Amino acid sequence: MTIQPPARLDRKPTLSRYALREHGANILFMLPAFLLFAYVVLIPFLQSIPVSFTDKKAIFASSWNFVGMDNYLKLLKSASFQDSFMHTAQFTAVYIVGANVLGLSLALMLWKTGRFNNIVRTLLFMPFTVSLVASTKVWSYVYTDILTPLTGSPSPLGISSQVIYGLALIAIWRDMGYCMLIYIAALQSVPLEYYEAARVEGANAWHELRHITVPMIVPAFTANVTLLLSWGLRCFDYSQMVINMKTAKTTAVFVYEYIFGNARAGVGQAGAIMLTLVLVLLTNIVTTILRKREVEM
Amino acid sequence: MAQTSYCPTTVQNFGREAGRSRAKALAAAALRVLFVLAVTAMVLVPFYISFLYSIKSHSDISLTRLAWPSAPTFENYLRVIRENKYVGIGFQNSLITTVPTVLILLVTTSMASFVLARNSGKFYKIMYALFISGILVPFQCIMLSLYVNIYSAGLASSNLGFILARSGFQVSISVLTVTGFVKSVPRDMEEAAAIDGCGKFRTFWSIVFPLMTPVNMTQIVLNTLFVWNDYSVAVVLLRSDESRTLPLAQIVYFGENMTELNLAFAFFMLAMIPILILYLSTQKYIVSGIMSGAVKG
Repeated sequence: MTIQPPARLDRKPTLSRYALREHGANILFMLPAFLLFAYVVLIPFLQSIPVSFTDKKAIFASSWNFVGMDNYLKLLKSASFQDSFMHTAQFTAVYIVGANVLGLSLALMLWKTGRFNNIVRTLLFMPFTVSLVASTKVWSYVYTDILTPLTGSPSPLGISSQVIYGLALIAIWRDMGYCMLIYIAALQSVPLEYYEAARVEGANAWHELRHITVPMIVPAFTANVTLLLSWGLRCFDYSQMVINMKTAKTTAVFVYEYIFGNARAGVGQAGAIMLTLVLVLLTNIVTTILRKREVEM
Repeated sequence: MAQTSYCPTTVQNFGREAGRSRAKALAAAALRVLFVLAVTAMVLVPFYISFLYSIKSHSDISLTRLAWPSAPTFENYLRVIRENKYVGIGFQNSLITTVPTVLILLVTTSMASFVLARNSGKFYKIMYALFISGILVPFQCIMLSLYVNIYSAGLASSNLGFILARSGFQVSISVLTVTGFVKSVPRDMEEAAAIDGCGKFRTFWSIVFPLMTPVNMTQIVLNTLFVWNDYSVAVVLLRSDESRTLPLAQIVYFGENMTELNLAFAFFMLAMIPILILYLSTQKYIVSGIMSGAVKG
């Protein structure tokens, strides 16, 4: 049995004058932000993809050849690129774990509203207001003037095998307050009746943590991990501050040096595209895994 | 609480366990406060060091680092400003780039986010996805083409070029946060205004925008932090001495004044103080803004 569609539906739907005006106003509202976004992000991004397939050298070089996948293959085999990627990965891993563990622990202790908690939260977020550049410089003195006299071990920023962890610690110091705030928001959104009901059923603190708190804050966990993943993988400022340490060189610094320092723009751009791909891929993996664990309210 | 009184076991155990559990709770609370205070103290150490070093005289700081200065002095602050003209230039550049960038973002992203939050058509979903995708693009991926475009427009090493680049790069994250907030703002008032014949433009500016104050405040403070502290965009775009912003000026200054730590730290403090004042006076908004935006967004 087939049903004939009414003839009217075949006609292309035309927008009423009202809807058209509404649409036009909406577009005008979005236009300024979109123009900025297009000029700074969208267009340069589209322009930079073809560059990664050329042997363009200086930034303003007028002639270059198309080299296909050469830049990518060269980089994948290059020891210095692999190293820079390893450093980035080490930094990001320590940074994500450290900032989340500390941020969550502090959030669990400070989530209730009260004067003491509010003041402490404000102080714990304060490092986030300091520039990454100044953070690194100041911390280099925290390491040498406080850590060394206390523990007898030299500053990690001066030891090639430890420098990347020394930088990760600075990043944890700076951003754990941010993680904490996001966890506190999640903890405050858990209905108190859940805990009351659990207590009536005879649940202890561990049960409550395991079966109520943790499942309810998975969205905050997703937000924190994806945010720190993107901040960690593009780590540039910290690494630039200890530029004489080869073992602190991240992929972002590698790319910067190739494009603006070594006059090998094509290769540098290929490295930047790979960094972007890794970021997109990892973000998608993390979101997919964590979204599955989110509970519906 | 009323439910528990129906439960006989709780009532029986209550008297016997009350004393012990109260002592336990007290000990746990004390331990919590102690831990929180210890972490907070550690977090504040770099601030303390910066302040301490900045008020020591040259002879004081070369003698001992951590001891309280025999004669605390603010002379360093005056000397930094007087002796190096790039400190003043850095301040000026940071100020005249940060303020317009923050205002541009406030106007453009609140308008765009309003439309994106209130429309669910396919076109708007695509636009939203496009805006948000910018979060996953590291600056290193677009810097080559962006620099070439800005240079060809005659805006390299200029305040205007930096303002454009910094606001365009910030659009994505702002749209994400603000759209999340607008979705939670009830529509009643704007619908009433529309029925009364109020145009979209007037509805937005006289009704919706005031309702967005909490998220707008958050945006103002966060964007100020990001622009004021920016290094990675500035180092690419601002290549003349006269165009340096504070973070760039700090690095150069630090490199030239390694022997006069007290002056370098006075410079750090000078750059940090305006931001700290801004943060501490608006922390109510920033803390609640991050907490409400992040999880929903």
